[in-house]
Amino acid sequence: MSQAPMPDFSSSVKLKYVKLGYQYLVNHFLSLLLIPIMAIIAVELLRMGPEEILNVWNSLHFDIVQVLCSSFLVIFISTVYFMSKPRTVYLVDYSCYKPPVTCRVPFATFMEHSRLILKDSPKSVEFQMRILERSGLGEETCLPPAIHYIPPTPTMDEARSEAQMVIFTAMDDLFKKTGLLPKDIDILIVNCSLFSPTPSLSAMVINKYKLRSNIKSFNLSGMGCSAGLISVDLARDLLQVHPNSNAVIVSTEIITPNYYKGNERAMLLPNCLFRMGSAAILMSNRRSDRWRAKYKLCHLVRTHRGADDKSYYCVYEQEDREGKIGINLSKDLMAIAGEALKANITTIGPLVLPASEQLLFLLSLIGRKIFNLKWKPYIPDFKLAFEHFCIHAGGRAVIDELQKNLQLSGEHVEASRMTLHRFGNTSSSSLWYELCYIESKGRMRRGDRVWQIAFGSGFKCNSAVWKCNRTIKTPKDGPWSDCIDRYPVFIPEVVKL
Amino acid sequence: MDLLCLLSSLLISYLIFKIWKRIDCKRDQNCYILDYQCHKPSDDRMVSTQFSGEIILRNKHLRLNEYKFLLKAIVSSGIGEQTYAPRLFFEGREECPTQQDALSEMEEFYIDTIKKLLERNKLSPTDIDVLVVNVAMLNSAPSLSARIVNHYKMREDIKVFNLTAMGCSASVISVDIVKNIFKTYKNKLALVVTSESLSQNWYSGNNRSMILANCLFRSGGCAVLLTNKRSLSGKAMFKLKCLVRTHHGAREDSYNACVQKEDELGRVGIHLDKTLPKAATRAFVDNLKVITPKILPVTELFRFMLSLLLKKLRGNPSKGSTAVAQAAPKAGINFKTGIDHFCIHTGGKAVIDAIGYSLDLSEYDLEPARMTLHRFGNTSASSLWYVLGYMEAKKRLRRGDRVFMISFGAGFKCNSCVWEVVRDLNVGESLGNVWNHCIDQYPPQSIVNPFLEKYGWIREEDDHDTFKIREEAM
Repeated sequence: MSQAPMPDFSSSVKLKYVKLGYQYLVNHFLSLLLIPIMAIIAVELLRMGPEEILNVWNSLHFDIVQVLCSSFLVIFISTVYFMSKPRTVYLVDYSCYKPPVTCRVPFATFMEHSRLILKDSPKSVEFQMRILERSGLGEETCLPPAIHYIPPTPTMDEARSEAQMVIFTAMDDLFKKTGLLPKDIDILIVNCSLFSPTPSLSAMVINKYKLRSNIKSFNLSGMGCSAGLISVDLARDLLQVHPNSNAVIVSTEIITPNYYKGNERAMLLPNCLFRMGSAAILMSNRRSDRWRAKYKLCHLVRTHRGADDKSYYCVYEQEDREGKIGINLSKDLMAIAGEALKANITTIGPLVLPASEQLLFLLSLIGRKIFNLKWKPYIPDFKLAFEHFCIHAGGRAVIDELQKNLQLSGEHVEASRMTLHRFGNTSSSSLWYELCYIESKGRMRRGDRVWQIAFGSGFKCNSAVWKCNRTIKTPKDGPWSDCIDRYPVFIPEVVKL
Repeated sequence: MDLLCLLSSLLISYLIFKIWKRIDCKRDQNCYILDYQCHKPSDDRMVSTQFSGEIILRNKHLRLNEYKFLLKAIVSSGIGEQTYAPRLFFEGREECPTQQDALSEMEEFYIDTIKKLLERNKLSPTDIDVLVVNVAMLNSAPSLSARIVNHYKMREDIKVFNLTAMGCSASVISVDIVKNIFKTYKNKLALVVTSESLSQNWYSGNNRSMILANCLFRSGGCAVLLTNKRSLSGKAMFKLKCLVRTHHGAREDSYNACVQKEDELGRVGIHLDKTLPKAATRAFVDNLKVITPKILPVTELFRFMLSLLLKKLRGNPSKGSTAVAQAAPKAGINFKTGIDHFCIHTGGKAVIDAIGYSLDLSEYDLEPARMTLHRFGNTSASSLWYVLGYMEAKKRLRRGDRVFMISFGAGFKCNSCVWEVVRDLNVGESLGNVWNHCIDQYPPQSIVNPFLEKYGWIREEDDHDTFKIREEAM
């Protein structure tokens, strides 16, 4: 402790100030340039004196027709300009599904069921226990009713009823919060990765709420945990084309038909992590929604690494040796996620990073590639670009890896960790639970920027940037309302079972 | 003074420039079909009458009633001797399919079609900006779209959408997505891949409403290249004029007309309700109500309104027409004034007949759909493209012609769109057309199904208990 090098500490502090000064200089470059120009003009004006100014004014010969024409033209052009800008897409509100207490699966329940179902393979039970200990999940995550049976009863009817339970509850809640009438929905997008009955889940929603017959409905599936942001992308593209419309997105993952009944280890992992959950989101491009919308969509970047074989095979649905179907998660999932993230960041960086960071990154890139200097690759400081981070709660390892890669503090990833603890990995809807956590903690202020990152099978990395439109009061009801006071909790490395 | 003139002229020129840009933008928003390639599976997958009989007999749960029902269904289906089925049917494994079977069925299809399509158009997979895949009954992780991206090593920033469970009308829904994307992004190339997966969807029970689906669906698929690049508009084949989607899911009877569910013994199958034709008609009528004003000339619309008015003024219609009118509503409007060719989803003979009746179409108009049903069966979402291929092979498509595509899907949806032919397609050889090898044999003299001849004796059988399939019939 006494050997802590003092000179290093002070030099690093000095460096910090230098960096701050540099950032300020570059980011406010234009305004800094403007000041001397205005000063010069002011000096000139003062030098000229009031009579000369009046002379210049009088010599301009204002003809009433010309004045009217030019002012009319200016107004007209500014209207045309504003009308041809891409429509802003707002997120009016969203609601997350809170599963009933009866569906809870505490560790004890999970392990007991596991021992009874897999009584012939104690090694697999042991494996599941170890996973659960290190998973970062809490005692309040939920599984659908069909999975509580011993053995589970994953029939199509049960899967449909789980879908109805999670989707309809979330949508009812959304209607109540926003005052939206079902017949006013113009676009409906439902994404559920591993369950798609005929008629589709989107048709099920249309049937339940008696939506209009000219609704544009889409049912995306198989797109993994990043499907939520893919739906947002599709909604954004559609809202650019259809004026004065709104879109409802339903993101969910139906667990019932996908419970792995075999004992192949790599395929038992999803059983331990995936939990029940769903979210319903209302997006709109109507001007009247501007005042009550919570967020504005700034950017959305999609990266697909399917061309690379290793990335492609890392989350793969297949049959095991006994013909039981399950999802195989490869061991290099973390490395692949890191690479996909890097690819995504390269695209989103220039859009969101302040000029100072981009310049530094560019300089370090030039130094490394062109002059072959042995510098470490400069990781831009994303904390300057965003106030909040919502990282898909795929698993503890994913969050740790991303925290390391992006150099985020514990508070930044708190939303992700706590969502994983309270709700488990709810696949595409997890981002919305995390956003709800940040709001429930009262941290969301007007002008804050949020970065949502999601990974999905294939291997995809999608990220969305939202800007908070109005300071959000702590919601009175919602999935976190009854337990937010207990959070954040400390999640130990290993929870001994 | 001069300064003001200069300023005004600058502003005016900027304004003109902006307006011209807005108008110019519209030309970049058109959706063109550059090319399309339907899939012809290899001949060792052909399903003849003999073989269909064998497959049916393999199902040990069926009894006399079911055989009679199946016979009636197959004989009146309009499906011929050369349709295709997945490979595992030929290995006798239709009741225990594996995930790998379904995936290889899809692989066979997309590797063949996409390769041919890209080669013919001298494009590389990295040129594709948007990929939309719709296969109704297959759901896998990673999705089929990810499989295609992986196989062809497509770009990282590709926009991918994987639609499932949207039934036989999913082709038009995929085109809808592409059309909307084309309005926002310029200079894009899109690939729509549509097919149906039959491997894992064989119903092995004996619920009548569910075994029907077994007999109707066949293997097939299509890949379509779309673009909004102005430079390619000269080489394009079709331009999209309008697209209308109607969804009747709000009505209970429409929603329950076609549902995938488990029967009493837990076997999964697609239940086709008796109210399906009614639901289809309702959705069809609603769809027509929206699309007709967009595609027919004003003169025809006027004439129709006048005739309606006159009918109302005259009072009740004559008695003779009520019986016929009950079967399917006659539109009373002449679609041939605005549409030259009709691409009808080959859902079955009844569907084609019903649409032909209500739109007042001649046999010439219905021929492409009937022949597609005969040669390829009901290939679900991709059937529309086979019908289009038939018209192209028969050299019917001239520049300026309009093609009307109509399809139905579970839910209950009715989607339709109108394409305009951009360049003369009736000259020269249509390369890669899936009909090229047999177009000269169509239309055949008769399309009576030999099933009747072979198995017609079942109709006479009455004794359920001692009924046994005669040895010579097997």
